[in-house]
Amino acid sequence: MDFFLHLVVTIGLWIPISMGYTLLFGKGQVMHFGPIGVSVACGYAIFVTLGATGSYIAGIAMGILVGTAVSLIFAWLALRLENDGLGVMSIAVHLAAMVIVLNWTDVTRGALGIPRIPRMPFLETLPMFALAVTLASLFWIALFVWADRSALGRQMQALSESESFAKAMGVSRAKVHTIAFVLLGLAIVSDNVFFAQYIHLLHPNDYHFPTFIFLLAIVVAGKPGSMVGAVLSSILLVLLREGLRFIDLPISVLGPMRLLLFGVILLTAVYVRRDTLFPQKRTV
Amino acid sequence: MSILAVTHLSLTLQDQHILKNISLSVEEGDVVGLIGPNGSGKTTLFNVLSGFLVPTHGSVHFRGQDITGFSPSKRAHMGIGRVFQNFGIFREMTLEENVLVALEALPAEQRKALGNLKEVVQGTLEMVGLSGHAKKKAGSLSGGQMRLLEIARTLKSGKELFLLDEPTAGVAPKMTHQVGDLISELKRDRKTVLIIEHDLPFISRVCDRVIVLNVGEVVLDGKPSEVKQHRKLQEIYFGADPTS
Repeated sequence: MDFFLHLVVTIGLWIPISMGYTLLFGKGQVMHFGPIGVSVACGYAIFVTLGATGSYIAGIAMGILVGTAVSLIFAWLALRLENDGLGVMSIAVHLAAMVIVLNWTDVTRGALGIPRIPRMPFLETLPMFALAVTLASLFWIALFVWADRSALGRQMQALSESESFAKAMGVSRAKVHTIAFVLLGLAIVSDNVFFAQYIHLLHPNDYHFPTFIFLLAIVVAGKPGSMVGAVLSSILLVLLREGLRFIDLPISVLGPMRLLLFGVILLTAVYVRRDTLFPQKRTV
Repeated sequence: MSILAVTHLSLTLQDQHILKNISLSVEEGDVVGLIGPNGSGKTTLFNVLSGFLVPTHGSVHFRGQDITGFSPSKRAHMGIGRVFQNFGIFREMTLEENVLVALEALPAEQRKALGNLKEVVQGTLEMVGLSGHAKKKAGSLSGGQMRLLEIARTLKSGKELFLLDEPTAGVAPKMTHQVGDLISELKRDRKTVLIIEHDLPFISRVCDRVIVLNVGEVVLDGKPSEVKQHRKLQEIYFGADPTS
Protein backbone atom coordinates (compact mmCIF):
# COMPACT_ATOMS: atom_id res chain seq x y z
CA MET A 1 0.00 0.00 0.00
CA ASP A 2 2.81 2.38 0.89
CA PHE A 3 4.50 1.77 -2.44
CA PHE A 4 1.22 2.48 -4.24
CA LEU A 5 0.85 5.75 -2.34
CA HIS A 6 4.48 6.56 -3.14
CA LEU A 7 3.66 6.11 -6.82
CA VAL A 8 0.60 8.35 -6.45
CA VAL A 9 2.74 11.07 -4.87
CA THR A 10 5.54 10.79 -7.44
CA ILE A 11 3.15 10.84 -10.39
CA GLY A 12 1.24 13.71 -8.81
CA LEU A 13 4.46 15.69 -8.48
CA TRP A 14 5.44 15.22 -12.14
CA ILE A 15 2.05 15.99 -13.71
CA PRO A 16 1.88 19.79 -13.07
CA ILE A 17 5.39 20.56 -14.33
CA SER A 18 4.92 18.25 -17.34
CA MET A 19 1.66 19.94 -18.33
CA GLY A 20 3.12 23.43 -17.86
CA TYR A 21 6.16 22.46 -19.87
CA THR A 22 4.18 20.88 -22.69
CA LEU A 23 2.13 24.08 -22.99
CA LEU A 24 5.27 26.19 -23.36
CA PHE A 25 7.73 23.88 -25.07
CA GLY A 26 5.32 21.53 -26.83
CA LYS A 27 2.49 23.77 -27.94
CA GLY A 28 4.36 27.08 -28.03
CA GLN A 29 7.61 25.61 -29.44
CA VAL A 30 9.55 27.84 -27.02
CA MET A 31 13.00 26.31 -26.50
CA HIS A 32 13.04 26.83 -22.76
CA PHE A 33 15.48 24.30 -21.28
CA GLY A 34 15.54 25.88 -17.85
CA PRO A 35 12.44 24.68 -15.95
CA ILE A 36 14.63 22.78 -13.49
CA GLY A 37 16.61 26.02 -13.01
CA VAL A 38 13.31 27.67 -12.02
CA SER A 39 12.63 24.67 -9.80
CA VAL A 40 15.93 24.89 -7.89
CA ALA A 41 15.39 28.61 -7.28
CA CYS A 42 11.85 27.97 -5.98
CA GLY A 43 12.85 24.99 -3.84
CA TYR A 44 15.59 26.88 -2.03
CA ALA A 45 13.47 30.04 -1.75
CA ILE A 46 10.70 28.08 0.00
CA PHE A 47 12.81 26.04 2.39
CA VAL A 48 15.51 28.60 3.24
CA THR A 49 12.66 30.98 4.15
CA LEU A 50 10.97 28.21 6.12
CA GLY A 51 14.22 27.58 7.99
CA ALA A 52 14.65 31.27 8.75
CA THR A 53 11.07 32.07 9.75
CA GLY A 54 9.58 28.71 10.72
CA SER A 55 6.52 29.68 8.70
CA TYR A 56 5.28 27.66 5.73
CA ILE A 57 3.12 30.59 4.63
CA ALA A 58 6.21 32.79 4.42
CA GLY A 59 8.09 30.01 2.61
CA ILE A 60 5.35 29.47 0.04
CA ALA A 61 4.95 33.22 -0.47
CA MET A 62 8.70 33.51 -1.09
CA GLY A 63 8.51 30.52 -3.47
CA ILE A 64 5.72 32.18 -5.45
CA LEU A 65 7.67 35.45 -5.53
CA VAL A 66 10.92 33.82 -6.69
CA GLY A 67 9.14 31.41 -9.10
CA THR A 68 7.29 34.30 -10.74
CA ALA A 69 10.40 36.49 -10.85
CA VAL A 70 12.61 33.80 -12.44
CA SER A 71 9.81 32.92 -14.90
CA LEU A 72 9.53 36.58 -15.88
CA ILE A 73 13.29 36.71 -16.46
CA PHE A 74 13.01 33.69 -18.77
CA ALA A 75 10.00 35.27 -20.52
CA TRP A 76 12.01 38.46 -21.00
CA LEU A 77 14.91 36.45 -22.44
CA ALA A 78 12.51 34.56 -24.73
CA LEU A 79 11.27 37.83 -26.21
CA ARG A 80 14.77 39.06 -26.92
CA LEU A 81 16.52 35.95 -28.16
CA GLU A 82 16.05 33.66 -31.10
CA ASN A 83 14.73 30.24 -30.09
CA ASP A 84 18.12 28.48 -30.25
CA GLY A 85 19.73 31.34 -28.31
CA LEU A 86 17.06 30.96 -25.64
CA GLY A 87 17.82 27.23 -25.46
CA VAL A 88 21.49 27.88 -24.73
CA MET A 89 20.75 30.78 -22.36
CA SER A 90 18.18 28.80 -20.36
CA ILE A 91 20.68 25.98 -19.83
CA ALA A 92 23.20 28.60 -18.70
CA VAL A 93 20.69 30.07 -16.21
CA HIS A 94 20.01 26.57 -14.84
CA LEU A 95 23.74 25.96 -14.40
CA ALA A 96 24.20 29.39 -12.80
CA ALA A 97 21.41 28.60 -10.30
CA MET A 98 23.15 25.30 -9.47
CA VAL A 99 26.51 27.06 -8.99
CA ILE A 100 24.89 29.52 -6.58
CA VAL A 101 23.17 26.71 -4.63
CA LEU A 102 26.35 24.66 -4.41
CA ASN A 103 28.62 27.54 -3.42
CA TRP A 104 26.49 29.79 -1.24
CA THR A 105 26.99 27.33 1.58
CA ASP A 106 26.10 29.72 4.43
CA VAL A 107 22.53 29.74 3.20
CA THR A 108 22.09 26.54 1.21
CA ARG A 109 24.58 24.19 2.93
CA GLY A 110 25.99 23.50 -0.56
CA ALA A 111 26.28 19.88 -1.61
CA LEU A 112 24.93 18.70 1.74
CA GLY A 113 21.48 20.05 1.02
CA ILE A 114 18.95 21.01 3.68
CA PRO A 115 17.97 17.99 5.79
CA ARG A 116 15.16 17.33 8.29
CA ILE A 117 12.56 19.35 6.46
CA PRO A 118 9.37 19.11 8.50
CA ARG A 119 6.03 18.31 6.90
CA MET A 120 3.04 20.53 7.41
CA PRO A 121 0.97 19.16 10.32
CA PHE A 122 -1.83 17.81 8.12
CA LEU A 123 0.63 16.09 5.74
CA GLU A 124 2.42 13.91 8.24
CA THR A 125 0.85 10.60 7.20
CA LEU A 126 1.48 9.13 3.77
CA PRO A 127 -2.25 8.78 2.85
CA MET A 128 -2.83 12.45 3.70
CA PHE A 129 0.25 13.45 1.74
CA ALA A 130 -0.91 11.43 -1.29
CA LEU A 131 -4.37 12.99 -1.02
CA ALA A 132 -2.95 16.52 -0.88
CA VAL A 133 -0.64 15.91 -3.86
CA THR A 134 -3.51 14.35 -5.82
CA LEU A 135 -5.79 17.31 -5.11
CA ALA A 136 -3.05 19.76 -6.12
CA SER A 137 -2.40 17.72 -9.24
CA LEU A 138 -6.11 17.68 -10.15
CA PHE A 139 -6.19 21.45 -9.75
CA TRP A 140 -3.27 21.83 -12.17
CA ILE A 141 -4.78 19.34 -14.63
CA ALA A 142 -8.02 21.35 -14.68
CA LEU A 143 -6.13 24.63 -15.02
CA PHE A 144 -3.85 23.49 -17.84
CA VAL A 145 -6.64 21.73 -19.76
CA TRP A 146 -8.67 24.92 -19.51
CA ALA A 147 -5.67 27.04 -20.58
CA ASP A 148 -4.97 24.71 -23.49
CA ARG A 149 -8.55 24.96 -24.77
CA SER A 150 -8.85 28.69 -24.16
CA ALA A 151 -7.61 31.66 -26.18
CA LEU A 152 -4.20 31.20 -24.55
CA GLY A 153 -3.75 27.70 -26.00
CA ARG A 154 -4.95 28.75 -29.45
CA GLN A 155 -2.71 31.81 -29.47
CA MET A 156 0.29 29.72 -28.33
CA GLN A 157 -0.31 27.36 -31.23
CA ALA A 158 -0.85 30.20 -33.70
CA LEU A 159 2.42 31.84 -32.62
CA SER A 160 4.30 28.58 -32.95
CA GLU A 161 2.93 27.93 -36.45
CA SER A 162 3.62 31.44 -37.72
CA GLU A 163 4.54 34.31 -35.48
CA SER A 164 4.06 36.78 -38.34
CA PHE A 165 0.53 35.64 -39.17
CA ALA A 166 -0.44 35.65 -35.50
CA LYS A 167 0.98 39.13 -34.91
CA ALA A 168 -0.79 40.45 -38.01
CA MET A 169 -4.06 39.37 -36.40
CA GLY A 170 -3.24 41.21 -33.19
CA VAL A 171 -1.84 38.36 -31.09
CA SER A 172 0.70 39.71 -28.61
CA ARG A 173 3.60 37.30 -28.26
CA ALA A 174 4.85 39.13 -25.16
CA LYS A 175 1.54 38.67 -23.35
CA VAL A 176 0.88 35.08 -24.40
CA HIS A 177 4.37 33.75 -23.72
CA THR A 178 4.71 35.61 -20.41
CA ILE A 179 1.46 34.04 -19.15
CA ALA A 180 2.69 30.58 -20.20
CA PHE A 181 6.07 31.08 -18.48
CA VAL A 182 4.40 32.26 -15.27
CA LEU A 183 1.87 29.38 -15.28
CA LEU A 184 4.75 26.91 -15.62
CA GLY A 185 6.63 28.74 -12.85
CA LEU A 186 3.66 28.50 -10.48
CA ALA A 187 3.20 24.78 -11.23
CA ILE A 188 6.89 24.35 -10.36
CA VAL A 189 6.36 26.21 -7.05
CA SER A 190 3.47 23.84 -6.26
CA ASP A 191 5.66 20.79 -6.96
CA ASN A 192 8.48 22.15 -4.81
CA VAL A 193 6.22 22.84 -1.84
CA PHE A 194 5.50 19.09 -1.70
CA PHE A 195 8.69 17.45 -2.95
CA ALA A 196 11.19 18.35 -0.22
CA GLN A 197 8.57 17.80 2.48
CA TYR A 198 7.95 14.34 1.06
CA ILE A 199 11.56 13.17 1.35
CA HIS A 200 12.36 15.48 4.29
CA LEU A 201 15.35 16.75 2.34
CA LEU A 202 16.18 19.47 -0.17
CA HIS A 203 19.19 18.31 -2.11
CA PRO A 204 20.92 19.85 -5.17
CA ASN A 205 21.27 16.41 -6.79
CA ASP A 206 17.52 16.42 -7.41
CA TYR A 207 17.88 19.48 -9.64
CA HIS A 208 20.68 18.37 -11.94
CA PHE A 209 20.41 17.94 -15.70
CA PRO A 210 19.13 14.30 -15.58
CA THR A 211 15.96 15.61 -13.92
CA PHE A 212 15.42 17.84 -16.93
CA ILE A 213 16.06 14.92 -19.29
CA PHE A 214 13.32 12.99 -17.50
CA LEU A 215 10.92 15.94 -17.85
CA LEU A 216 11.79 16.34 -21.52
CA ALA A 217 11.28 12.61 -22.08
CA ILE A 218 7.79 12.84 -20.52
CA VAL A 219 6.78 15.78 -22.71
CA VAL A 220 8.22 14.46 -25.96
CA ALA A 221 7.01 10.88 -25.46
CA GLY A 222 3.54 12.16 -24.56
CA LYS A 223 3.38 14.20 -27.81
CA PRO A 224 4.53 17.81 -27.46
CA GLY A 225 1.59 20.12 -26.80
CA SER A 226 -0.79 17.37 -25.71
CA MET A 227 -2.15 17.76 -22.18
CA VAL A 228 -3.55 14.21 -22.11
CA GLY A 229 -0.22 12.97 -23.44
CA ALA A 230 1.69 14.75 -20.66
CA VAL A 231 -0.49 13.16 -17.99
CA LEU A 232 -0.33 9.64 -19.47
CA SER A 233 3.37 9.90 -20.14
CA SER A 234 4.02 11.12 -16.56
CA ILE A 235 2.21 8.04 -15.26
CA LEU A 236 3.97 5.58 -17.57
CA LEU A 237 7.50 6.95 -17.20
CA VAL A 238 7.23 7.27 -13.42
CA LEU A 239 5.97 3.67 -13.25
CA LEU A 240 8.87 2.59 -15.43
CA ARG A 241 11.42 4.50 -13.36
CA GLU A 242 10.08 3.28 -10.04
CA GLY A 243 9.75 -0.26 -11.43
CA LEU A 244 13.50 -0.30 -12.05
CA ARG A 245 13.99 -0.36 -8.29
CA PHE A 246 12.96 -4.00 -8.33
CA ILE A 247 15.80 -5.03 -10.63
CA ASP A 248 18.38 -6.74 -8.49
CA LEU A 249 21.44 -4.66 -9.38
CA PRO A 250 23.83 -2.60 -7.26
CA ILE A 251 22.92 1.10 -7.06
CA SER A 252 26.20 2.00 -8.80
CA VAL A 253 24.94 0.17 -11.90
CA LEU A 254 21.25 0.96 -11.58
CA GLY A 255 21.78 4.75 -11.46
CA PRO A 256 23.66 5.04 -14.77
CA MET A 257 21.39 2.39 -16.33
CA ARG A 258 18.35 4.46 -15.47
CA LEU A 259 19.94 7.56 -17.03
CA LEU A 260 20.83 5.59 -20.13
CA LEU A 261 17.30 4.22 -20.42
CA PHE A 262 15.69 7.66 -20.26
CA GLY A 263 18.28 8.99 -22.68
CA VAL A 264 17.27 6.27 -25.15
CA ILE A 265 13.56 6.96 -24.54
CA LEU A 266 14.15 10.67 -25.18
CA LEU A 267 16.14 10.05 -28.37
CA THR A 268 13.52 7.62 -29.68
CA ALA A 269 10.70 10.04 -28.84
CA VAL A 270 12.53 12.93 -30.51
CA TYR A 271 13.04 10.80 -33.63
CA VAL A 272 9.41 9.72 -33.75
CA ARG A 273 8.12 13.24 -33.07
CA ARG A 274 10.67 15.12 -35.19
CA ASP A 275 8.02 16.73 -37.41
CA THR A 276 6.07 18.05 -34.42
CA LEU A 277 9.17 19.17 -32.54
CA PHE A 278 10.90 20.94 -35.38
CA PRO A 279 8.20 22.03 -37.84
CA GLN A 280 9.03 24.20 -40.81
CA LYS A 281 8.52 27.83 -39.78
CA ARG A 282 6.40 29.99 -42.07
CA THR A 283 7.28 33.63 -42.54
CA VAL A 284 5.96 36.60 -44.50
CA MET B 1 -9.03 62.86 -44.34
CA SER B 2 -7.09 59.96 -45.87
CA ILE B 3 -7.34 56.68 -44.00
CA LEU B 4 -3.72 55.92 -44.92
CA ALA B 5 -0.95 58.39 -45.65
CA VAL B 6 2.60 57.38 -46.49
CA THR B 7 5.09 60.25 -46.56
CA HIS B 8 8.61 60.19 -48.04
CA LEU B 9 9.03 56.55 -47.06
CA SER B 10 12.39 54.93 -47.70
CA LEU B 11 13.81 51.60 -46.63
CA THR B 12 17.40 50.46 -46.89
CA LEU B 13 18.30 46.86 -46.05
CA GLN B 14 21.92 45.70 -46.20
CA ASP B 15 22.91 48.75 -48.27
CA GLN B 16 20.14 48.02 -50.78
CA HIS B 17 17.60 50.81 -51.31
CA ILE B 18 14.43 48.74 -51.38
CA LEU B 19 11.93 51.60 -51.12
CA LYS B 20 12.77 55.11 -52.32
CA ASN B 21 10.91 58.17 -51.13
CA ILE B 22 7.40 56.76 -51.51
CA SER B 23 4.50 59.10 -50.82
CA LEU B 24 0.90 58.11 -51.32
CA SER B 25 -2.45 58.50 -49.66
CA VAL B 26 -5.55 56.33 -49.75
CA GLU B 27 -9.10 57.56 -49.10
CA GLU B 28 -11.58 55.61 -47.02
CA GLY B 29 -13.57 53.12 -49.09
CA ASP B 30 -11.08 53.06 -51.98
CA VAL B 31 -9.89 49.84 -53.56
CA VAL B 32 -6.35 50.45 -54.76
CA GLY B 33 -4.22 48.05 -56.78
CA LEU B 34 -0.46 47.94 -56.31
CA ILE B 35 1.33 46.46 -59.28
CA GLY B 36 4.88 46.19 -60.53
CA PRO B 37 7.42 43.61 -61.61
CA ASN B 38 8.98 41.15 -59.17
CA GLY B 39 11.43 42.88 -56.84
CA SER B 40 9.80 46.28 -57.21
CA GLY B 41 9.12 46.48 -53.45
CA LYS B 42 5.37 45.77 -53.27
CA THR B 43 5.46 43.16 -50.51
CA THR B 44 8.18 45.13 -48.70
CA LEU B 45 5.87 48.14 -48.71
CA PHE B 46 3.12 45.95 -47.21
CA ASN B 47 5.59 44.74 -44.57
CA VAL B 48 6.29 48.37 -43.65
CA LEU B 49 2.57 49.24 -43.59
CA SER B 50 1.76 46.29 -41.35
CA GLY B 51 4.70 46.89 -39.01
CA PHE B 52 7.03 44.00 -39.84
CA LEU B 53 9.69 46.40 -41.12
CA VAL B 54 10.60 49.83 -39.79
CA PRO B 55 11.34 52.39 -42.51
CA THR B 56 14.73 54.09 -42.65
CA HIS B 57 13.04 57.43 -43.39
CA GLY B 58 9.52 58.75 -43.66
CA SER B 59 6.28 58.03 -41.88
CA VAL B 60 3.04 56.08 -42.04
CA HIS B 61 -0.19 57.65 -40.75
CA PHE B 62 -3.40 55.69 -40.20
CA ARG B 63 -6.53 57.77 -39.59
CA GLY B 64 -4.28 60.74 -38.89
CA GLN B 65 -2.18 58.97 -36.27
CA ASP B 66 1.52 58.37 -36.80
CA ILE B 67 1.93 54.58 -36.59
CA THR B 68 5.47 54.37 -38.00
CA GLY B 69 6.94 52.72 -34.88
CA PHE B 70 3.91 50.61 -33.95
CA SER B 71 4.14 46.82 -33.72
CA PRO B 72 2.15 44.58 -36.10
CA SER B 73 -0.24 43.54 -33.31
CA LYS B 74 -0.89 47.13 -32.30
CA ARG B 75 -1.65 48.03 -35.92
CA ALA B 76 -3.99 45.04 -36.13
CA HIS B 77 -5.83 46.32 -33.04
CA MET B 78 -6.19 49.71 -34.75
CA GLY B 79 -7.90 48.10 -37.74
CA ILE B 80 -5.20 47.18 -40.24
CA GLY B 81 -5.68 43.65 -41.58
CA ARG B 82 -3.18 41.73 -43.66
CA VAL B 83 -3.82 38.84 -46.02
CA PHE B 84 -0.59 37.07 -46.89
CA GLN B 85 0.68 35.89 -50.25
CA ASN B 86 1.54 32.45 -48.82
CA PHE B 87 -1.86 31.95 -47.08
CA GLY B 88 -1.90 33.32 -43.54
CA ILE B 89 -3.89 30.36 -42.31
CA PHE B 90 -2.88 28.14 -39.40
CA ARG B 91 -2.92 24.80 -41.15
CA GLU B 92 -2.68 22.65 -38.02
CA MET B 93 -5.70 24.36 -36.46
CA THR B 94 -9.34 23.77 -37.37
CA LEU B 95 -11.28 26.31 -39.42
CA GLU B 96 -13.23 27.26 -36.30
CA GLU B 97 -10.01 27.85 -34.33
CA ASN B 98 -8.56 29.88 -37.22
CA VAL B 99 -11.43 32.35 -36.97
CA LEU B 100 -11.59 32.25 -33.16
CA VAL B 101 -7.91 33.09 -32.77
CA ALA B 102 -8.43 36.27 -34.82
CA LEU B 103 -11.49 37.31 -32.80
CA GLU B 104 -9.87 36.56 -29.45
CA ALA B 105 -6.86 38.69 -30.36
CA LEU B 106 -9.05 41.80 -30.51
CA PRO B 107 -8.94 44.33 -27.66
CA ALA B 108 -11.51 43.50 -24.94
CA GLU B 109 -14.05 46.22 -25.92
CA GLN B 110 -14.07 45.20 -29.57
CA ARG B 111 -14.40 41.55 -28.63
CA LYS B 112 -17.34 42.27 -26.33
CA ALA B 113 -19.04 44.32 -29.04
CA LEU B 114 -19.03 41.27 -31.32
CA GLY B 115 -21.30 39.36 -28.93
CA ASN B 116 -21.23 35.56 -28.96
CA LEU B 117 -17.94 34.58 -30.62
CA LYS B 118 -19.19 31.10 -31.57
CA GLU B 119 -21.99 32.71 -33.58
CA VAL B 120 -19.54 35.09 -35.27
CA VAL B 121 -17.34 32.10 -36.18
CA GLN B 122 -20.34 30.28 -37.61
CA GLY B 123 -21.35 33.39 -39.56
CA THR B 124 -17.83 33.80 -40.94
CA LEU B 125 -17.67 30.21 -42.15
CA GLU B 126 -21.17 30.45 -43.65
CA MET B 127 -20.14 33.61 -45.49
CA VAL B 128 -17.55 31.65 -47.47
CA GLY B 129 -19.49 28.39 -47.70
CA LEU B 130 -17.32 26.48 -45.25
CA SER B 131 -19.71 26.06 -42.32
CA GLY B 132 -19.81 22.29 -42.83
CA HIS B 133 -16.05 22.04 -42.33
CA ALA B 134 -15.71 23.90 -39.01
CA LYS B 135 -13.90 21.04 -37.26
CA LYS B 136 -11.60 20.19 -40.18
CA LYS B 137 -7.97 21.18 -40.16
CA ALA B 138 -7.40 24.28 -42.29
CA GLY B 139 -4.51 22.53 -44.04
CA SER B 140 -7.06 20.33 -45.81
CA LEU B 141 -8.62 23.29 -47.67
CA SER B 142 -7.88 24.22 -51.28
CA GLY B 143 -5.89 27.40 -51.99
CA GLY B 144 -9.07 29.28 -52.93
CA GLN B 145 -10.91 28.20 -49.80
CA MET B 146 -7.93 29.23 -47.65
CA ARG B 147 -7.91 32.64 -49.30
CA LEU B 148 -11.65 33.15 -48.82
CA LEU B 149 -11.38 32.08 -45.18
CA GLU B 150 -8.47 34.44 -44.60
CA ILE B 151 -10.28 37.44 -46.10
CA ALA B 152 -13.54 36.65 -44.30
CA ARG B 153 -11.70 36.19 -41.00
CA THR B 154 -10.00 39.57 -41.45
CA LEU B 155 -13.33 41.21 -42.30
CA LYS B 156 -15.18 39.72 -39.32
CA SER B 157 -12.45 40.80 -36.93
CA GLY B 158 -13.43 44.39 -37.62
CA LYS B 159 -10.55 45.56 -39.79
CA GLU B 160 -10.94 48.82 -41.72
CA LEU B 161 -7.89 48.72 -43.98
CA PHE B 162 -7.13 45.50 -45.85
CA LEU B 163 -3.68 44.76 -47.24
CA LEU B 164 -4.20 41.87 -49.66
CA ASP B 165 -0.97 40.39 -50.99
CA GLU B 166 -1.70 38.54 -54.24
CA PRO B 167 -5.14 37.27 -53.23
CA THR B 168 -5.51 35.24 -56.42
CA ALA B 169 -2.11 33.51 -56.24
CA GLY B 170 -2.55 29.75 -55.96
CA VAL B 171 -6.30 30.08 -56.43
CA ALA B 172 -8.23 28.15 -59.12
CA PRO B 173 -9.81 30.37 -61.83
CA LYS B 174 -13.34 29.60 -60.61
CA MET B 175 -12.43 30.66 -57.07
CA THR B 176 -10.73 33.83 -58.37
CA HIS B 177 -14.20 35.17 -59.17
CA GLN B 178 -15.34 34.41 -55.64
CA VAL B 179 -12.31 36.25 -54.25
CA GLY B 180 -13.17 39.18 -56.54
CA ASP B 181 -16.78 39.13 -55.31
CA LEU B 182 -15.60 39.15 -51.70
CA ILE B 183 -13.42 42.18 -52.40
CA SER B 184 -16.41 43.90 -54.04
CA GLU B 185 -18.34 43.15 -50.86
CA LEU B 186 -15.60 44.86 -48.84
CA LYS B 187 -15.98 47.87 -51.11
CA ARG B 188 -19.74 47.94 -50.57
CA ASP B 189 -19.08 47.92 -46.80
CA ARG B 190 -16.87 51.03 -47.25
CA LYS B 191 -13.72 49.11 -46.31
CA THR B 192 -10.43 50.35 -47.73
CA VAL B 193 -8.43 47.80 -49.67
CA LEU B 194 -4.88 47.75 -51.02
CA ILE B 195 -4.20 44.84 -53.34
CA ILE B 196 -0.90 43.57 -54.68
CA GLU B 197 -1.66 41.60 -57.82
CA HIS B 198 -0.10 40.47 -61.07
CA ASP B 199 -3.45 39.65 -62.66
CA LEU B 200 -4.21 42.90 -64.51
CA PRO B 201 -7.75 42.00 -65.64
CA PHE B 202 -8.54 41.20 -62.00
CA ILE B 203 -7.09 44.55 -60.91
CA SER B 204 -9.11 46.36 -63.58
CA ARG B 205 -12.28 44.62 -62.40
CA VAL B 206 -12.02 45.36 -58.68
CA CYS B 207 -9.88 48.49 -58.27
CA ASP B 208 -10.73 52.20 -58.46
CA ARG B 209 -7.12 53.21 -58.72
CA VAL B 210 -3.79 51.60 -59.57
CA ILE B 211 -0.33 52.48 -58.27
CA VAL B 212 2.67 51.13 -60.16
CA LEU B 213 5.92 50.49 -58.33
CA ASN B 214 9.23 49.96 -60.06
CA VAL B 215 12.61 49.49 -58.35
CA GLY B 216 11.20 50.82 -55.09
CA GLU B 217 9.60 53.96 -56.55
CA VAL B 218 6.06 54.99 -57.41
CA VAL B 219 6.11 55.51 -61.18
CA LEU B 220 2.41 55.67 -62.04
CA ASP B 221 -0.75 56.42 -60.12
CA GLY B 222 -4.19 56.65 -61.72
CA LYS B 223 -7.36 54.96 -62.85
CA PRO B 224 -6.94 51.37 -64.11
CA SER B 225 -7.97 52.32 -67.64
CA GLU B 226 -5.39 55.14 -67.78
CA VAL B 227 -2.55 53.15 -66.21
CA LYS B 228 -3.18 50.14 -68.46
CA GLN B 229 -2.67 52.26 -71.59
CA HIS B 230 0.32 54.15 -70.25
CA ARG B 231 3.55 53.77 -72.20
CA LYS B 232 5.58 53.58 -68.96
CA LEU B 233 3.75 50.45 -67.86
CA GLN B 234 4.62 48.76 -71.16
CA GLU B 235 8.24 49.78 -70.67
CA ILE B 236 8.36 48.41 -67.15
CA TYR B 237 6.92 45.06 -68.11
CA PHE B 238 8.38 44.62 -71.60
CA GLY B 239 11.61 46.60 -71.32
CA ALA B 240 10.81 49.00 -74.19
CA ASP B 241 7.86 50.66 -75.90
CA PRO B 242 6.41 47.77 -77.99
CA THR B 243 5.09 50.21 -80.60
CA SER B 244 8.52 51.76 -81.27
